[in-house]
Amino acid sequence: MSADVAGLGKNLSPGQGIKVHQVSHIYGGGDRVVQALREVNLDIEVGSFVSLVGASGCGKTTLLDIMCGLTEGQQGTVTVGGLPPRAGRPDTARMFARDALLPWLTAEQNVDYALKTRIADAATRRRRIAALLAAVGLGDFAHAYPRQLSQGMRQRVALVRTFSLHSEFVFLDEPFGALDALTKITLQEELIRLWSETNSTVVLVTHDLSEAAALSDRVVVMSPRPGRIVADVKIDIPRPRRVKDLHSNPEFHEIVADLWARLE
Amino acid sequence: MSQDTLIVWTGRALFLGLWMGAWEWIARTELLPPAFIGTPSKFIRQFWISLWDGSYLEATIVTMQATLAAFVVGAVAALLVAMVMSASPIIGKVLSPFVDAFNSLPRVALIPLFIIWFGLGMTQKVASGVSIMFFIVLSYTIAGAKSVDPDHVVLARSLGIPRWKIFTTIVIPTAVPAIFSGLRLGMIYTILGVITAEMLAGGEGLGTRVSYYSNIFDTNGVLAVLIVLVLLASAVSYVMSIIENWIGRWRSI
Repeated sequence: MSADVAGLGKNLSPGQGIKVHQVSHIYGGGDRVVQALREVNLDIEVGSFVSLVGASGCGKTTLLDIMCGLTEGQQGTVTVGGLPPRAGRPDTARMFARDALLPWLTAEQNVDYALKTRIADAATRRRRIAALLAAVGLGDFAHAYPRQLSQGMRQRVALVRTFSLHSEFVFLDEPFGALDALTKITLQEELIRLWSETNSTVVLVTHDLSEAAALSDRVVVMSPRPGRIVADVKIDIPRPRRVKDLHSNPEFHEIVADLWARLE
Repeated sequence: MSQDTLIVWTGRALFLGLWMGAWEWIARTELLPPAFIGTPSKFIRQFWISLWDGSYLEATIVTMQATLAAFVVGAVAALLVAMVMSASPIIGKVLSPFVDAFNSLPRVALIPLFIIWFGLGMTQKVASGVSIMFFIVLSYTIAGAKSVDPDHVVLARSLGIPRWKIFTTIVIPTAVPAIFSGLRLGMIYTILGVITAEMLAGGEGLGTRVSYYSNIFDTNGVLAVLIVLVLLASAVSYVMSIIENWIGRWRSI
């Protein structure tokens, strides 16, 4: 990885990560008000990997979108890297549950579509894209259209698109939800690798507790109606971690069982 | 050529042969009066002779000029209006019932008005074509723009891509297949509009030829011109679908 990646977040002090203070959010109006979040407080350190888990409707994606600046109008204060969130900030990147690749662009062009917003020089972009696609095993598929790729390969392109931006803050919304168990583990490994090569702060929304436990430094458990944080669990498994090995590790299974208990 | 295409084309030739053969037989035996139904051998011969002596040339050029002018004017105007309507949801909502109303109006009924406004010449024919082309392309483009994947828009917003650029890089590419279906269908109906205008207003053109031959009760003459029209419309439609497939090649892979 080039020097500019290793330096990500270095100009931020550990405390200048993501701060969520007394945030509440309401959807709808009149009689059909849904309280998506109530008085949520959360502090995420620079360079850490934090998962938000919970049943559907617990407001985890809403919280993620507030941190990205895609959802506005909440009460309370949020700062990301010391600044209020805003959609399109060059130091943030977001990845989607479904790949959100543009079907009329090739894998390479899809990554370039995003990277163009950050880097003007085409040659620099091409080099970075080629290196990243090769790193996730898609070197031969740079010119393939999304339709020609399997779901796992498409999500890999989306992963490359997200991490190619070298953003300090990366927000992932159930990125592997639609994948089969085996492909999922491979992509989780890719994700850990891409994250550890940068120094980015990652927030992952997932409903898969073992995914959260395997990847994260901390797992934040949320509960629905109204959405609030019910537990904040530190995952003490040493890094580097191999997701495949974790599945035969009794300590790991205890952590997942503990998360389940907190969810209920 | 694969086995299947060979069978299909043989079948098509066979169907055409049987159809024309039966028609010829019915005309020759005077089962139905040949003055009414025409005789294939005669109108095909007339088509062939007129094709090479250049007597269709001028009429075809005039008709195609009007059609192309209507195609360009109608398509460009429709694309611009569609852009405004899908870029601003309010304007879209205000205008959509009017678009639907005009689209369901039989445009052929407007041709007499166009003749009053624009006279008997080219302008009137183009106006007739545009009145058809515009609304077909407009409704197809708007429908295409509506089918945008919300994830794509959120992705672009998260990347800080400005609204107008989201429109040109996401909304328009999403709508391209629908736009092309609209252009292809619009082109065919525009030929129809121009021919009808020519039949009503006279002057030069293939439509005028059709009404001329039918007025002098020359059924074979009418049918020979119809062959020209069928070939023209098919050729245009074929070219459009080649362009369409090339632009939308990511879909068919």
